[in-house]
Amino acid sequence: MTATLQSQSSKIGNTKTRLPGTSATAVAQRPAKDLTVILGALGLLIVLGSWQLSATLGIVDSNFSSSPFGAIGALIDSLVTGYIWAPIGSTMSTVAWGMGIAIALGIPLGLLFGRNRILYGLTDPLISIMYSVPYVVFLPMIIFWFGIGMEARVVIVVWAAAFPLMINVIAGARNLDVSYTQVARVFCASKTMTLTSVAFPATLPYILAGIRQAVGRGLVGAIVAELFMGSSGLGYIVQLRTSQFRMDDAMGAVAVIAIVAILLTRTIAYLEKRFTSWSG
Amino acid sequence: MRALQPAQRLFHVNICRGLDKVLRACFNCGVDSLVLSFEHKEVFVNSKSPKLIVDDLKIGHWTKRAGFALACDGLSFEVAQNEFVAIVGPSGCGKTTFLSALAGLIPVLEGWFELDGKSITGPAPDRSLVFQGASLFPWKNVTENVEFGLKAQKRLDSAGRARVNELINLVGLGGAEGKFPRELSGGMSQRVNLARALATDPGLLLLDEPFASLDAQTREVMQEELVRVWQADGMGQGKTAVFVTHDVPEAVFLADRVFVFSAGPAHLVEIVDVKIPRPRDASAKHSPEFKEISDYVRSLVMSQSPRNREMENNDRNAAVAV
Repeated sequence: MTATLQSQSSKIGNTKTRLPGTSATAVAQRPAKDLTVILGALGLLIVLGSWQLSATLGIVDSNFSSSPFGAIGALIDSLVTGYIWAPIGSTMSTVAWGMGIAIALGIPLGLLFGRNRILYGLTDPLISIMYSVPYVVFLPMIIFWFGIGMEARVVIVVWAAAFPLMINVIAGARNLDVSYTQVARVFCASKTMTLTSVAFPATLPYILAGIRQAVGRGLVGAIVAELFMGSSGLGYIVQLRTSQFRMDDAMGAVAVIAIVAILLTRTIAYLEKRFTSWSG
Repeated sequence: MRALQPAQRLFHVNICRGLDKVLRACFNCGVDSLVLSFEHKEVFVNSKSPKLIVDDLKIGHWTKRAGFALACDGLSFEVAQNEFVAIVGPSGCGKTTFLSALAGLIPVLEGWFELDGKSITGPAPDRSLVFQGASLFPWKNVTENVEFGLKAQKRLDSAGRARVNELINLVGLGGAEGKFPRELSGGMSQRVNLARALATDPGLLLLDEPFASLDAQTREVMQEELVRVWQADGMGQGKTAVFVTHDVPEAVFLADRVFVFSAGPAHLVEIVDVKIPRPRDASAKHSPEFKEISDYVRSLVMSQSPRNREMENNDRNAAVAV
């Protein structure tokens, strides 16, 4: 009965106006996501295409501007010869050390400052100021204090990453739902258990959001440090190749930095989704 | 008047302040026998020691706007072993504050609580609270949430796990053990909330308007479920429970006695006995005595609402003017 009704309606739909059916809405919903991907790719293609076109037609001098094909060629070349791996490793180890130290310091301190009223009052203005001032201005001083070696680069990453992380962790610890701590109190949970089993998981969304911000800033910190005082790393390569007028190689290195940045933030986004799926 | 003081199962009170009050106080705490001594102006009461004694309790706190605000003013009553007591009162009268103090979450100003002869100074494993909002941990699934109390009190052994499983089935969540709070409806969350409170096997169960945020139908179902769970858990002898609500039929349906609180600061207006036989089920709500008691309690609560009080005062003023 229903089958015949459906076939009839589909006939009517074909001949006259299309009836709004379930299949129509299902079709309408799915492309929404695909469409953004397609549009994003299209936008990228248009920009790269016009860049390539301008370079090929001589509208811009490719010695100065490089070109997408040139950059991709240089990127593939650097991967094939393998000379890009050392700078990637150098930058990544700087970021890893810096982030490790920033996380090891920032999360416990953030939880402590957020849960303790006096410590919060004492540190809040300081942390806000340190977060607001562009950390790059401390670079000359850091060079003065730590030299231009690996330590200085790690310090700048810590400097860049610790404050956004701490601001997030403190906000999370302060916004800890009173009802959670009440449950912990009513059931006589110890202080340690309240911290590890209630405060920490409740703050985890803030912590991961903080890490996501911190990784972004930390990577910028590492690259800036390499531009200024590098003898290795991706920032140094960009600086070096540009000064040698090898723009294709410089652009290839920029592409590598972009890929690294995307991979890092995507990884954190995945972790956020994986561990805080319960919130929201 | 002050609550009766235990003295080797012998209570003695001053009867100067009125015999009727003494007798009512005796009656309210399940007295077995009493001896009146007019010579000494004392009454000796022989009674089972009560589970909970609330004696001349005052609770207050500082607020930014109103300065010092008194939430409870001189509450005195007793709750017997295995008794289910409901507290009703106009909204904002301090009944939730009273329950929080009973749970040990906020300090009292004056007077004291005594549970099993021990004074209450803070949260302890002998009490658990069913929260108004479910207050479940969203990162824990149903089982982990129910286990929380036992884990916190380091009692999560195999017997504890078995009890958790049993309770989850008892509250009707068998099969939903792995679900997370965001996947649960309001009624289901309150079932978890109840199971979590029962899991630690408390001597005194406190319930803070647990069904207030549910829709009318779910609330009815949950009331019946609570009666069923309460009657089933503890081998026919329900746990001693204090249930705070503003819903009069809910209070009458659930409780052995209904305590009516005045508008804030709360003091005890009247204790109403609910002599509806147990075990109760939904049909109890249709009995004439249920209606009668509910109407009576409702009239008591209504007489405490601020507007009625105002009218009373106006009447009094009018009378003076005439």
